[in-house]
Parts: sequence; structure tokens; C-alpha cells
Amino acid sequence: QLDHGCALHTAARDGLGSVSTQDVPAERPRAVFHTSESDPAKHSEQHEGRLYNIPLEEVKAVFPHGLPYRFQQQIQTFNEARVMVRRPALELLTYLKGSNLAQPAVRYVIYGERGTGKTMTLCHVVHYCSRQGWLVLHIPDAHLWVKNCKELLQSSYNKDRLDQPLQASVWLKNFKTSNERFLQEIKTQRKYMWGKRESTEEGRPLGEVVEQGLARVRSASDAVGVVLRELKQQSHRGSLRLLVAVDGVNALWGRSTLRKEDKSPVSPGELTLVHNLRKMVRNDWSGGAIVTTLSQTGSLFKPSSAHTPHELLGKEGFDALDPFVPIPVANYSPREFESCYGYYLERKWLQHEKAHTEDGKAELQFLSGSNPRQLDRLAGPL
Amino acid sequence: RIMPVRWSRYNPSYLEPEVKKESYQKPLEELTEEEREQMELKAVRPIKAAPPTLSSSVFSDPMISKFTNMMMKSGNKVLARSLMSQTLEAIKRKQLEKYHKAPENEKETIECNPYVIFHQALKNCQPIIGLSNITKGGKTYQVPVPLTDNRKRFLAMKWLITECRENKHRRTMMPEKLSQELLLAFNNEGPVIKRKHVLHKMAEANRAYAHFRWW
Repeated sequence: QLDHGCALHTAARDGLGSVSTQDVPAERPRAVFHTSESDPAKHSEQHEGRLYNIPLEEVKAVFPHGLPYRFQQQIQTFNEARVMVRRPALELLTYLKGSNLAQPAVRYVIYGERGTGKTMTLCHVVHYCSRQGWLVLHIPDAHLWVKNCKELLQSSYNKDRLDQPLQASVWLKNFKTSNERFLQEIKTQRKYMWGKRESTEEGRPLGEVVEQGLARVRSASDAVGVVLRELKQQSHRGSLRLLVAVDGVNALWGRSTLRKEDKSPVSPGELTLVHNLRKMVRNDWSGGAIVTTLSQTGSLFKPSSAHTPHELLGKEGFDALDPFVPIPVANYSPREFESCYGYYLERKWLQHEKAHTEDGKAELQFLSGSNPRQLDRLAGPL
Repeated sequence: RIMPVRWSRYNPSYLEPEVKKESYQKPLEELTEEEREQMELKAVRPIKAAPPTLSSSVFSDPMISKFTNMMMKSGNKVLARSLMSQTLEAIKRKQLEKYHKAPENEKETIECNPYVIFHQALKNCQPIIGLSNITKGGKTYQVPVPLTDNRKRFLAMKWLITECRENKHRRTMMPEKLSQELLLAFNNEGPVIKRKHVLHKMAEANRAYAHFRWW
């Protein structure tokens, strides 16, 4: 039975590819939910509900950070990275394909209930943009910058602000892995001083700024600020296309759990990283797009029932992000559920004997409520 | 007032609740005489409240529930159940990784179903014969004694849990420890199997006292 499945699978990958559902004969139910189209640019409605494969080297290059933890575990167990093509992602891709890069950057906010696939939609879009040759500025989770920070230094650039060397250096390292080739091409526009003795001259490649930030951890946050400012100016000129992808953008305008040494609370605006990111998310530059995700799970001081943009961003954040294009993400449609269930069966993830029956499938659908995260959690022990 | 904990205070007229879906889907003609009587009785008699462990889910397993109850501390069933599901998932992941890396001819020998592994591991850990303390003439002797099925299952589960709780590094998580122990027990290796063998050897050594048993 194992060989039968393998033969069908390879046939599906080679022969069927992007054939629509009606043409597939009834005796090949397993192949329906896969598609061999691994370039997100060619994804369209006929691929909706199907899973496409991202080669593992590309995963390491494009997503050094940013994939959810459970998805990374799944990649390791199944030895492949399969992402489902869903309607919100297709919508975003059509908008990006038709966007005019001479106009100011459009802001897209992906919102939805908990566990519906907002981060995965963002990753799909990031993969598309990196395939198209855009420079991707991916911040995996803005909430990590406003909580659990062990070291807070007073910024040397501006006395009121606070630096976060650890978070900034981690982000710079991941940024370097994902955008190696751009760092050599882009040149700095003016001279930057790091403290009294070190400086970066005008016209040096941006890679040097990143190296400086990684070597001197104290000035890592300033290095991040310099990188963001340079990229904004250069994309405004039109030489490169920039995608700013922020996950958990509601962290930038909320409250933080950090405290200064005199135990007074820190507002996110006082952190250099958050300040620079807020400038980045403003639509006063052109030549790219800003795709953001709201997230309640990591958010601070927000009730767990809040999932709309107004509730999570607050007045300040909503005014700052206004106008934006909202993209709602919902639970799995019946077709998407079938596809996910079939994929788990095929990869031998659902091992329980009863999970293969109709009763088991109905029970899984009922218990998870077609929510992707609940389905993943339920299918784990089964 | 003392609340009844161990023995039920229900009136004997109360009947047990029926959870299985199949019994309600049978048409009237297929029922035997006894089942028809039972149905008539159910229409008249009151029914006991269903206990929280009773489930109509197709995925529920009485052994797994018993094990979860034994792992539970101070009534925290939520934590115990989540630990159990994480353990099963950990076993599945380890076995699937091994499966995908193995060559074609060995793939069929690798068992990936965590439930099969759990049941087989428990069966391998169950002792056949136990020891009990019998006092005769002022001295206590360890006498070999046959064990009931329930006692065997209980001992196997108890040994697994105590082994994981006590003899491992303090910082390892319970699912990790448990999945390791279950996989070793599945292959008839590991400290729990050793403990079972030690018990068997003690019983064999004390064979002479077997006639002290009077039941």
C-alpha cells in the first residue's frame, strides 16, 4: 500500500501539476491537494486549498526567522516544507502584482481570530517577494522587542531613548542571512559615526554597517536604525523594491512590560528599535509595500477576545496605520480542511486507526472547528 | 457531613449511561430480547450522571485515561492530559524521523503508531508474579504470589511514572523522559524492564516460601 501511494504521489507531481480539481479522475483522491507549482508568482485561484513545496535550502535562505515554531517542527519531521495556498494570500499577491511602485507604499494589515493562519500568509507573501527579487525586511515578532528584555542601555544617539543590544544583534544576524546579495550592492549615502573613533564612510556597502552592528553589540540598535533609514531613502529613489513585513505590529503602539532602572514603565516610543520601525511603517516613501500582521497571542495588556484592528492597535496605532488595506483571515473552508487532513494522512502524521475513518474525520472537524492551529494540536497525539 | 468518595451513594435503581453511538443507531428489529427489555427499562428508570472520564470520542482509550489519572497531581487533569498528548506526539515524531531516514527494507519494521507503542511497552513492563509480605511465627517473609490483571497494569504504570519522576535529570521535561522510557520499554530494554526482571528473580529465589500462601 505504501508503494501505491508513492507512485500516485510522484505521478501527481510530474503530470498533474496545475490541473484544476474537476479534471482529476476519481481514483486519484490523494494527489488533489498537492501542487507542483513552487513559484508563488504563478499561484492563482485554481491552486486554492492546495499545498506547495518550498525546497529546504530556500527555506533556510529566505526564512532564517519568521516561521512559527510548530511549522519548523513539522518541516523537520516530514523533511519538507509545505505551505497551503489560501484566499487571503492570493488576494495580497494580486494586490502586490498590480501595485504601482511609484506611488507611496500601501499598507496591508492581516487580521483574524487566533490560529487562523496570519503568520503563514505573511510568510507566503515574503516568499513571493524574495523570489521576485525584492529586498525583504522581515521582523518575525515585534512583541519580542517590547517584553522580556534583559539588557536596556541608554542610547548614545538620543539621551531619552533606550537601546536593546541583544534583540538588535539577533535581528541583524538573521537579516544578513536572508539578504546577502543586497548588502553588497547598496551603498551608504552619508557618513555615520559610531562613538568617538569608529565611523562608516559615505559610499561603503551596507554590509559594513551590519558587520559593525554585529561586532560592536552596544551600537547594534543604532546600526538597525541606519539600515532602515538607508533602505527607505534608496527605495524612494527607485533603485530597489522593498517589502517591510512586520508580524505583531500592534506591539509598536501598545504598552511594554519593560522598566527603567528607577522602576518607571517604558513606553514603546522610547525604544530605539520601535521608534525606527514606526518611521518605517509610515507611508511617506515609495517603491515597495508594507505588509503587517496583528497578533493577540504575544500582545501585552490586551484581552484575549480582541482580534479586530481597532481593538488591538488602539487609537494611537490605528491613527498611525490609517489608511490601510485590511485582509481578514478565516478558518479553513471545507475544501482546505479536506486538503490538510489528506496531507496529514499521506505523511503518516495521523497514526490512530480511527483517524482514517469518516467518524474520525468528522470528529476532528468538529473538535477543531476548522481552525488550523486547533487541528494541528489535535492531530499531534493522534 | 461526610461526602461519599469511594462507594457510590446512588439508589440501586439508577442505571449506567450508554455512550457508544453504535448502540443508538441499531434499528428496532435487530435488538435481542434482553436489549428490548433494557430499552424499556431505560425509559422508566433514572440514569446516573456521566463521569468526566467517560467519553464518546472514537479516539478515547481507557488505558491512556488511567495512565493520565496516575500522572495527575492535586487534581490538575488539564496539565496531565496535555503532558500525555505531548508524550504521544514526541514518540510519533521520533519514530517518524527514524522512519524517513531508514532504508526501504527496514521501513516496515519501524512502528510509528504511538498507541501501539504505548500498549506494547506497558505489556512488556507487566510482571507475571509478585511478592507479598506474610507474617508467620513472628517473622515476615516475602512470598511469591500470582497477580491479578489490574494489579499488573497498575504496577507497570506506577513503575514507569516513578522511574521518570525520580531517576532523571531535574531539568528534562516529562514528555521527553516518558517518550524515551516508553520507547526503551517497547524494545524490552531500559530500567523499568530491569526492575520487572529483578522482581521475577526475587520471586524465583523465594520459591521455598510459596506454600505460606493460603489463597
